[in-house]
Amino acid sequence: MVTIRWGKDLTDLGLLWRRRRTRRIIIQIAIAVGVGLFVFYMADKARDLDDLGFDFLSGSGDFPLSTQWLTNYESNDTLLGAYGAGIFNTVRLVVIGIVLATALGVFAGIARLSTNWLVSRLATLYVETIRNTPLLIQIVIWYVVVFLQLPRVEDAIEYSGLFYLSVKGLALPSLTIDGSFGIWVILLVLGAVAAYVLQRWLHRKEEQEGGSKHTVAWAFLLFTVVAVVTYLLTGTPLEPDTPQVVITGANIYSVSGGIQVEPEFAAVLLGLVIYTGAFIAEIVRGGIQALPKGQTEAAAALGLSGYQRLTLIILPQALRIIIPPLTNQFLNLTKNSSLAVVIGYPEIIFVGNTMINKIGHAAPVYLMIFGTYLLLSLAISVGMNAFNRSVQLAGR
Amino acid sequence: MNVADTQVTRIERSTIDRARKWARANLVNGTANTVLTLVSVTLAAYLIYTLTRFVFVGADWEVVDVNRRLIFLGRYPKEEQWRIWPPMWMVMGLGGLSYGMLSRGSLRDLAWLGAAVVFILAFLATTTNGLLFGGGVLVSIAAYGLGRLSIGRPLLRSKLRLVTIVGWFLVIPFAIILITGFGGVKPALWGGLLLNVLLAAIGIGVGLPLGILLALSRASSLPLLKGFATSIIEITRGGPLIAWLFIARFVLPAFIPDAFETDPIVNSMIVVSLFTGAYVAEIVRGGLQAVDRGQVEAADALGLGTFNVTVFIVLPQAIRAVIPALVSQMIALWKDTTLFAFLGFTDALSGGQAAYNQAAFKGSQIEVLVFVALLFWAVAFGMSRLSQRFERVLGIGVR
Repeated sequence: MVTIRWGKDLTDLGLLWRRRRTRRIIIQIAIAVGVGLFVFYMADKARDLDDLGFDFLSGSGDFPLSTQWLTNYESNDTLLGAYGAGIFNTVRLVVIGIVLATALGVFAGIARLSTNWLVSRLATLYVETIRNTPLLIQIVIWYVVVFLQLPRVEDAIEYSGLFYLSVKGLALPSLTIDGSFGIWVILLVLGAVAAYVLQRWLHRKEEQEGGSKHTVAWAFLLFTVVAVVTYLLTGTPLEPDTPQVVITGANIYSVSGGIQVEPEFAAVLLGLVIYTGAFIAEIVRGGIQALPKGQTEAAAALGLSGYQRLTLIILPQALRIIIPPLTNQFLNLTKNSSLAVVIGYPEIIFVGNTMINKIGHAAPVYLMIFGTYLLLSLAISVGMNAFNRSVQLAGR
Repeated sequence: MNVADTQVTRIERSTIDRARKWARANLVNGTANTVLTLVSVTLAAYLIYTLTRFVFVGADWEVVDVNRRLIFLGRYPKEEQWRIWPPMWMVMGLGGLSYGMLSRGSLRDLAWLGAAVVFILAFLATTTNGLLFGGGVLVSIAAYGLGRLSIGRPLLRSKLRLVTIVGWFLVIPFAIILITGFGGVKPALWGGLLLNVLLAAIGIGVGLPLGILLALSRASSLPLLKGFATSIIEITRGGPLIAWLFIARFVLPAFIPDAFETDPIVNSMIVVSLFTGAYVAEIVRGGLQAVDRGQVEAADALGLGTFNVTVFIVLPQAIRAVIPALVSQMIALWKDTTLFAFLGFTDALSGGQAAYNQAAFKGSQIEVLVFVALLFWAVAFGMSRLSQRFERVLGIGVR
């Protein structure tokens, strides 16, 4: 006889829900439907906008950019050219910033661990002050309080005709190249190869015969001799170009020649370097402190000097600990370079916002900006990961 | 010469001797170190001279004094100012209580506390709100005493700990409800340092739970959930905050249904919370990875379900391990709130800029900017110090 057992059927349904697999499938379907609906909605809205696509980049935005160095962008160039100049300005800031911030950070990190009480206190003061103050305020202070208060061009602070510091920025001497420069560079490369070969050869001899052969010193000497001799032979292909104050109109002065460092660039660079340097100092200090004390003691027992202990024993080992967080700081610096927009330095966000104000197309412009940051971050990560692999202990 | 005199001279001599010995060992041992010391002394002397001269002689602090309201409250209406005091007292009381409970009771601690109180009182003595603020300082000192009292009294301590934790969790909603609710002030009128504080509070208040959810999703075994969380986290972290804030301004409005009436500042707050959530997620993920597998297996063996294992076994251990990193993230968020100055909101920085752009105060940029920087520095430095103390009490990083 068949009896209908409602209870069991209900329990079965409950059991079904209690089973992990069912739950997993249901949750995932819910997510898929949710994300799908969201994407559909956004796509629908985006179609209404009618400003997707990147065709607008071939048109001109008809706006100038304050920074010209090496970019040669003009107002009537295409928007793609303007954005390219923006990328160049960001990259220039990031690359120089990373190099200087690392140098400052390593220096301050070591100083914090100095046995000299005064030195370590000064380094601590630097780190604790800078780290806890917003970078944005620091950049504004550098720009508004320091660089905008400099004298006008005609009263520029001058150093023996080589450097001019004024409200228009810092003018540095530079070198201009002439026709035979290419030949000289090729000869230089050959000289470097020869120096390297010499260094390897001396190094092998050193290993066979023992004793120091001053490998690097000889290689360096060879390279210097090659460089000087070929420079004279090719007819001095580099000409010094010193900046000069010129009158361009009635009471209008400007600086021409040499390299011009704009005040905006200088302010952002200083801000970024000093801020990131404080964080790197903490990383370096942590990396050194993580090493067993025995390393220093053993090195001292071997009779190594303080400088040798640091460069031969401590830093190479600390490097392994330091690199991953250091990579993070480089990525932070890259992203923080966007703060340059607030004082009008034409990096990518500044250029992007100018484009949006002129002709709209906000969505594609910001897609480009994110793409650029992604590429920059990837480049830094890949490079630093490769470096990281090369310093790790082999066979682990 | 009597006995007491001799003793005094002996102590003095030994102190000087000790100082001399210490200096010989730490400052002038070896040529290189002596040179370093000389350079540092010059630098330190220069810094001290410049700073003292600037603070007491060179600077004219009138611009800050006159524009105090602009820097602290922006365009916040004056008649609604009473709404700020209760949460403020609560924060001061909780701060005092936490510091008292974490304090080692050393002289140095008391010196710091005293310096802070004197500084705050001196600063506010001239304002009309000096009395209200002074009351808050008294509450703070009383709470500190209570906290100190709890050391060595486990029962009181456990009760106080509960009060502190619940209090810190409630203070943000309490402040926001009191300020906006009951015919209060709209977010669009929040300003000055108050805006920075509320932005940071909302950012971490929303970002922390969101980040924990994202981290758990990313650690999930469900591929779709994991992929979803991972892409949200990575896309958000891909660009700088300022880019996201500009997106909220330029791009987002076109995608929001017309039915919602949105305020630019509310949009920006949502963006800040999402951004913080993504960074918190990565921090918590590190904590999740630090939890031993055996913990989960043991809990499974006890018959706990997925939810119970996650909430009562895994998360407490994971979050405890990453408290220092979470505090760093809070400090970063606090500093990042200055970005709002460049989106047209009057926070402390843009209030300050408005102050030095007044015709009466031409050329006083440095005073204002240094003052605003000091405000941000004090809060960030205080947070980092409290977190270090907290780590020591919890024994994080000590094996």
